[in-house]
Amino acid sequence: MPHADVVVIGAGLAGLTAAARLAEAGAAVTLVAKGHASTHWGAGGIDVAQPDGARTPAEGVARLAALDAHPYAFLGGDVEPAVAWLTKHLAASGLPYVGTLETPIRRVPTAIGGTRRVAIVPDAQSAALAPWEPDEILVVAGPAGYKDFWPAAIADSLARESVWQGADRPTRVVGVAVELAGLASRNNLNALELARRFDDPALRADDLDRIARAVARVSGGRRGRVALPAVFGLDGHAETWAETRARLPLRPFEVPLVPPSIPGIRLWRALRGRIRAAGGRIEVGEMVARIEVEHGRVIAVEMEAATRSHRIRTDAVVLATGGIAGGGLVATGEGELVEPLLGLTVDAPAFDDWLLREALDPAGHPLEAAGVRTDHGLHPLDPATGRAALANVLVAGAMLAGQRALRERCGDGVAIASGWRAAQELLPDTTRTPVGQGPLATRIES
Amino acid sequence: MTIADIIREAALDPHVSSSADECLKCNVCNTVCPVLRVTDLFAGPKYEGPQAQRFRMAGGQQIQGPASTHVASPDHSVDYCSGCGWCTTACPAGVKIAEMNNQARGRLREGKRPKLRDWGLGQTDLTGSLGVAFSPLANFVMANGPIRALIEATIGIHRKAPVPKWAKRSFRSTWKRRGGETGASASLPGPDKAIVFFHGCAANYYEPHVAEAAVAVLKRNGFETIVPEQVCCGLPLISNGLYDEARERACTNTKVLAGYARAGYRIIGTSTSCTHTFKAEYEEMLDLHDDDTKVVAGATWDICEFLLDLHDQGRLDTGFGRLDEDLPYHAPCQLRSHGIGLPALDLFALVPGLRATDMDHDCCGIAGTYGLKREKYDIAMKVGAPLFEKVKASGATTAACDSETCRWQIEVATGVRTRHPVEILFDAYAAGDAAR
Amino acid sequence: MTVPHTADVLVIGGGATGAGVLRDLARRGLRGLLVERGDYGTGTTGRYHGLLHSGGRYVQKDQLAARECITENRVLRRIAPASVEATGGYFVAAPDDPDDYVLAFADNCNASGVDCDEIRVADLLLKEPALNPRIRRAFRVPDGSIEPWQLIEATLADARLHGSEALSYQRVIGFEVQGGRIVAATLRNERDGTISRVWTKFVVSASGAWAGQIAALANVEVTMTPGKGTMLVYNQRMTDAVINRCHKSSDGDIMVPVHTVAILGTTDIKVPDPDDYDITREEVARLVSEGTKMFPDLPRMRILRAYAGVRPLYQPPADAAPGVGNRSISRAHAILDHGDQGVENFVSIVGGKLTTHRLMAEQTVDVVAAKLGITTPCTTADEVLPDQGGGHTYWLGHRLADHEADGGGDANLLCECELVTRKMVDGYLDRHWPCTIDDIRRGTRVGMGPCQGAFCTFRVAGLVAERLDAQTPSTGASAAGAPAAMGLEDPDGHQPGSGAAHAAIADRALTAFLRERFKGTKPIAQGRQLQELMMTNGIYVGVMGLDSMASAPAPAPTRDEELSDAAR
Repeated sequence: MPHADVVVIGAGLAGLTAAARLAEAGAAVTLVAKGHASTHWGAGGIDVAQPDGARTPAEGVARLAALDAHPYAFLGGDVEPAVAWLTKHLAASGLPYVGTLETPIRRVPTAIGGTRRVAIVPDAQSAALAPWEPDEILVVAGPAGYKDFWPAAIADSLARESVWQGADRPTRVVGVAVELAGLASRNNLNALELARRFDDPALRADDLDRIARAVARVSGGRRGRVALPAVFGLDGHAETWAETRARLPLRPFEVPLVPPSIPGIRLWRALRGRIRAAGGRIEVGEMVARIEVEHGRVIAVEMEAATRSHRIRTDAVVLATGGIAGGGLVATGEGELVEPLLGLTVDAPAFDDWLLREALDPAGHPLEAAGVRTDHGLHPLDPATGRAALANVLVAGAMLAGQRALRERCGDGVAIASGWRAAQELLPDTTRTPVGQGPLATRIES
Repeated sequence: MTIADIIREAALDPHVSSSADECLKCNVCNTVCPVLRVTDLFAGPKYEGPQAQRFRMAGGQQIQGPASTHVASPDHSVDYCSGCGWCTTACPAGVKIAEMNNQARGRLREGKRPKLRDWGLGQTDLTGSLGVAFSPLANFVMANGPIRALIEATIGIHRKAPVPKWAKRSFRSTWKRRGGETGASASLPGPDKAIVFFHGCAANYYEPHVAEAAVAVLKRNGFETIVPEQVCCGLPLISNGLYDEARERACTNTKVLAGYARAGYRIIGTSTSCTHTFKAEYEEMLDLHDDDTKVVAGATWDICEFLLDLHDQGRLDTGFGRLDEDLPYHAPCQLRSHGIGLPALDLFALVPGLRATDMDHDCCGIAGTYGLKREKYDIAMKVGAPLFEKVKASGATTAACDSETCRWQIEVATGVRTRHPVEILFDAYAAGDAAR
Repeated sequence: MTVPHTADVLVIGGGATGAGVLRDLARRGLRGLLVERGDYGTGTTGRYHGLLHSGGRYVQKDQLAARECITENRVLRRIAPASVEATGGYFVAAPDDPDDYVLAFADNCNASGVDCDEIRVADLLLKEPALNPRIRRAFRVPDGSIEPWQLIEATLADARLHGSEALSYQRVIGFEVQGGRIVAATLRNERDGTISRVWTKFVVSASGAWAGQIAALANVEVTMTPGKGTMLVYNQRMTDAVINRCHKSSDGDIMVPVHTVAILGTTDIKVPDPDDYDITREEVARLVSEGTKMFPDLPRMRILRAYAGVRPLYQPPADAAPGVGNRSISRAHAILDHGDQGVENFVSIVGGKLTTHRLMAEQTVDVVAAKLGITTPCTTADEVLPDQGGGHTYWLGHRLADHEADGGGDANLLCECELVTRKMVDGYLDRHWPCTIDDIRRGTRVGMGPCQGAFCTFRVAGLVAERLDAQTPSTGASAAGAPAAMGLEDPDGHQPGSGAAHAAIADRALTAFLRERFKGTKPIAQGRQLQELMMTNGIYVGVMGLDSMASAPAPAPTRDEELSDAAR
């Protein structure tokens, strides 16, 4: 039976961060995941903490850390080093991110003509971050006939002062739909199809030429920036984006779209590459059937397979399977919230209080804060004893209780900080007491 | 029971069709589909799978509507699914997308006579034995450009498609001739001393050397080989919609093999497709739920899976000699469906000097018989193109892959000799012996 | 369009019955005007399980109702085939269903003229393998399912062809009664508040559960006892035929395949006010638990949403003459001639069911015609409705087949779950503009699949915004009124016709639709559907910044908005 020092379950930001950090430090780590979710659904940026009123993510972290029940109450100090470490790795993989915890939080346009608060974004989204100079216009440009990005409607919406929520904004917003060669006859026209099209240097040259001409026409020589759907290349994103910047008359930025998120896929691929290069294993498509526990410790993870189960012996597990959206927590019809792999106790509001009456109530549904409570070393708590339920299981990411990821815009920060912290806890070279006392500790020390 | 009944029942298998209930519509499956990546003819796994599933009839009611659309599954584009299974792998919600598409392809053919080509591609045991019987002629014919062009025009097998060469003599006949154990002996070695080998069509008719390598490697590790009566596993028939015939093959095999399985013998194959068919498809696709099928499924092992298991128990002979070479390795799609990781790579790591590299590419394109077909050949070549480039760029003279059709595809597309992992291990043992 | 000054007959209520009355009036040469306070089919018609009754459910306790059902069932298959799916249906005896009912069932069907064959349970299980294998007996009947909105649209189209008119979003707020006759009705446009008056010779109230409220405007008393029925929408058809329990009708004992989904009905709970009710978790649990007796795997199947309708149950006065609803609470229909309460030209049609709506309309119009001295006979049972395609009944795979024939792929799919193409939405908008996204949903099924609007709502909003932009320069002044007519006036007070005003309207349309979809999810929020909801919130708030949109923080909904929150 194969053995791993650590099995990380879940391929979201938390799991990827934990696995990358562990692999980098020389641990034998295997990441298993049922499939892809949060990376492929999100905007591809790093939302650390942008609650209403915070000027920087650092300030946001501090505010959230002041809330007793919030993961930042004990993870707050890890956010800065974890994010710095991760963005360093992403840059080394050819996917640079712009922004730090000290970067002012800014409002950037969205694909339905709204705005959202961000600070740390992929380079391709970064041109949206700069303050708008008084004479700057915004051109919204996208392929004609593309159902996920409606340039004219987005421009109409962004022309309203209200969506900027008091932030500075472009003086004028213009939308332009650009006819790209041969698109009208495509049966499959979606973000993926477009991204792959931009990967092709020949098609890209013509497309960029058409976009450049359209942007020049509507901008009429004025200063400003251009918002584009986030489809500018997948494998060839770096070259595509460099060319896009060079060709367009205004400074471009990408606007993330409905899933599948191209910026998110780039992020997944970059981190996957880091983990594999460092000797880590990744097995996506593995449904964990059972986690074997003996004397309060996990000893093996068992995956569903065509016949006999596929078992991996392990010294520790990082459980990063997500919250309700990611499938790590499952709600039953009887009003129970279940963590299906280990049956961990889930802290949740009463059944009747799960959801507010209004879908879009700005307060956010109470259920969002549901999750697993842990000690400061991320061990899930047994509410009966108030102690760690399992000695060598660490919980990371959206499963952690107490975060209101949408309202606080803190999901990525919690994921990265907890993934990183989980790795630190398991590695012997930190100041903290390592949990793993097995081969992991001894082998890495020697 | 008719084909229609079987398909209908298979379509109602709670693990497949009802898994459409799990779909979140998130499009992740589309991001990993190798076919969607290269062609517009396929609408993608989400569309063909859980989405179209809601428009297919659940039960067996009379279908209403104009006669021209009187089909159970009207989405012909599902025929362009290669069945590689990547979509199922990527789905965060556990939707069995590839399996659903497989069943939909079956329903497309419901009540229709199969194309001659699809029928022929399904009969690998027939074409195999005829080819071996007339191998010089058959190989000449299949290597002849004008004849292949004629075959393409008439039957629809692409002229450049990778068709293997028939062996001069089948593995079975060699085995029998030299008195190999076929299970007929009065006293067989026990299940801790012997295994049952399922050679399948590929190792029997085209690549007896793979079977021989497997026998030798197993012997080296203390296992005699028993080669009982067997027929094609039936997968090519399933892929071409010939469920009735596939079921006959399945029953013939399980009837023989179940006895061994009950006695504790492990059934080992060198073809990841045959072994996966035993492990899962008899139940999932053919709706066979009898005891014989189940016990055979539980006893089946891929050869590398078996060897790695021996190693985990400390029982693998690791007297491998040095093989100082680069070895690009392609993990076939079929292997992922086994859910056993990449055992070949783990075994290669035990061979001194061997620098095996995972090519890390989704699919070579061939997908069994998919890439042989005239209308799909170009798609298959585009799907595999990045892999072919990587293999060529590696500069290696040999590549490795567990699945036969993938090996043929890679070899034809790159000119790099492509071998089964067990052949590499055989060489490594030989190198070890030579050095001693 | 503007409200006409006069009508021969004013029909109140845009459900199936009102539409049927209007059509019948028109075909007998009377110029009718139908007014509906919301969109058509948003009352009880659009909020039932979709069953085209064979009559089987009534053979035991009400043979007249059963007879009417089977007759009208045959009529509807003939005149409205495009709205009907000829699914067939079965009455199945679950292990604990009482024998006396089961034993008498076939004879009762026979006595009522409802075609019924007993079939072997084993044969039924082969056809419908999701059924409980412990079923003891099974009877086949000609049940079907019927698409209510399409039926209303075709019925109104026929009425229009014959010179009558229908207006949605017009609420009757008062009658002018002179000398024991209603001479005029006062209407309020529910979108822009405009008040208008219609002079009429006769008034038919086809307002179902709301009949008491309408009658009260003329000082007439009609006592309705609205019965709330809650239904659950399952993501996939686990059966292609209607399945009924063979017992005395109760909760959770019918499963109707409608389009891509299957609908489990119903509960029956008296509610004081047809506009004010909630769906409780307990009701949902009860439905699932009863439904499990028919389909053992039901608890594992995905529920997309819950919705409820109110049955227009009529409570006749204690001293009622025989023949006018002679049961304590009637599910059969009754025509109430309010002459006996001092209003000569006013009738209410109450009770009944969608399957018999045409018959109810015929009988109502017979009363009206007699009073107005019209002798033209009724033709509604013989003439096929407009837009019935090739005369084929509905077939589940047709959208898939059509889309494939059109090239397939996802390029033009706005709603991926229900395969709604851009062309289909454009076509709907051409016919119905201006309208809300919820109206588009009723016309096209946009947003009715598993994602409940996650991937299509902003796309349709984009199309709405594009249409607003496109019409401004070309149609000038009249276009400025369109948004107001949609009830989508810009809440931020931008200059009418400006891009900003259009954006405000579009994002209000978007948020209204998402809020509406959420209401159906909330009572069943569990498993995958809750996960779907959380993912949807992540997309709209996290990625799309919906919380920044001016109209997003929703005001407390008014009761009318609650009401127009739609079915399925």
